[in-house]
Amino acid sequence: MRKTAAVLGVALIAALPQLAQAETASAPRLTIYAAASLTEVFPRIDRRPAYNFAGSNQLALQIRQGAPADIFASAAPSFAQDLYRERRVEKPRTFASNKLVLAIPRSNPAGLTSVFDLRRKSVKLVIGTARVPIGAYTRQVLRNLGMTSVLSKVVSEEPDVKSIVGKIALGEADAGFVYRTDVQPVKDRVRAVPIPAWAQPKVRYEIAVVGSSRNKAAARAWVRMVLMNPRARRLLKQAGFGLR
Amino acid sequence: MKHAFNAVLVLAVAVAVTFLMLPIVAIFWQVGLDRLVDGLRSDIARDAFRVTLKTNAIAMALILGVGTPAAYFLATRRFPGRALVVTILELPLVLPPAVAGIGLIFAFGRLGLLGEELNALGITIGFTQVAVVFAVTFVASPFYVRQAIASFESIDQTMLEASRTLGASPAKTFWRVALPLAGGGLGAGAAVALARGLGEFGATIMFAGSLQGVTQTVSTAIYQEFDVSLDAALAISAALVLVSGAILLAVKTLPLWTGSRSTSRSLFARSAST
Repeated sequence: MRKTAAVLGVALIAALPQLAQAETASAPRLTIYAAASLTEVFPRIDRRPAYNFAGSNQLALQIRQGAPADIFASAAPSFAQDLYRERRVEKPRTFASNKLVLAIPRSNPAGLTSVFDLRRKSVKLVIGTARVPIGAYTRQVLRNLGMTSVLSKVVSEEPDVKSIVGKIALGEADAGFVYRTDVQPVKDRVRAVPIPAWAQPKVRYEIAVVGSSRNKAAARAWVRMVLMNPRARRLLKQAGFGLR
Repeated sequence: MKHAFNAVLVLAVAVAVTFLMLPIVAIFWQVGLDRLVDGLRSDIARDAFRVTLKTNAIAMALILGVGTPAAYFLATRRFPGRALVVTILELPLVLPPAVAGIGLIFAFGRLGLLGEELNALGITIGFTQVAVVFAVTFVASPFYVRQAIASFESIDQTMLEASRTLGASPAKTFWRVALPLAGGGLGAGAAVALARGLGEFGATIMFAGSLQGVTQTVSTAIYQEFDVSLDAALAISAALVLVSGAILLAVKTLPLWTGSRSTSRSLFARSAST
């Protein structure tokens, strides 16, 4: 009895390091930290890697704290560039672009037909926090449109773009600024109202190999694949991303 | 042999204490007293505490006001289906808060079960402090109700019968006999529920969202400030540790204040473990 317990205890302790780095042993499985807006398209491009999707700002923080990522894909250049300056990632490359839209529930409870209606109507608006890329871009759009007063209609500031989409899809909010590519996966519940081209911010996605990666060769190959592989490029385009 | 066994026990305690204390020590290690004060002076921290205290005060009033009589009923009556009712009341204990958030949205949200009725009355709950109160009440109430049932059950039945035979009405018996006798246990349950409510995160961010000064509670503020202003996040965390620690201490010392009533035993026997 005691022997069993002792064996169990030893086994448990022996297993802990395995838990901590379960993936590194055999064929290297890449760990990719990617912006939440890439949630649908990256697994379609390659199912094999382990993905962590979140706000680019949170991912950058995690990488700074030593998270075991091989690749970082950011929805705003600044987060990748900051890490590059700190020598935590290799040189970032731009692999896609995006546009912002105003997402509204299909039921359109606030009766919105254009982004300018936000000024007139009483609207429950959901945006990203100032720090997450989608939130920063949203503020830029509102500045470009001369509509920063609309910020007073914000009922919630969300930590990443998918949380905004969720609140719209559930019909809780009347409108939210998201990327064009976020509407496609929930198009039976959510509709996109376009934002004029002249008010669009430059949304560029950058990708970089993380300096502390143990699979650098594989990680570099993956980054090249996203940048060059025709199938990967086609899937990005199909999802609504711009290629540049 | 006996020594070896003792050594194992002591080692286990040491491991447990170290593992549980380290993250808490780390928070204070990082903050320092001056930065703690500065961080707590920030608008975000102040607003977060204001929202949290207000919503939790309302939630606690609801939990005590409804939970106490409900628990008394369940503790003193036996009827078919009682176990089922108790299980339902305890269910939120084992639900992940994210599930609670989804449930609240689909019950009280605009497209939820009661959405149309609430809309017709001109009531919207999502993104308001009412939503925060709902989330806190849903997640925290079982901690109180469970303890309250146990406390009422542990009252010596002859006391209640004596009260009745001496001519007190059932209501008067409840107020003058049952409540004071169960007081220690009820207080402990309320404290645990309050501590759980102050830290509520998952259901709140899903159902109420997060907006500074309106629905942003201390927990959602910590989450959102984490990468913007680490100081503020750390300061709020440290303050929350102190508040929760004070609550826990109050629970532990409550039996001392209320004297050696019969209910004090149930405090350690039944509560705290959840």
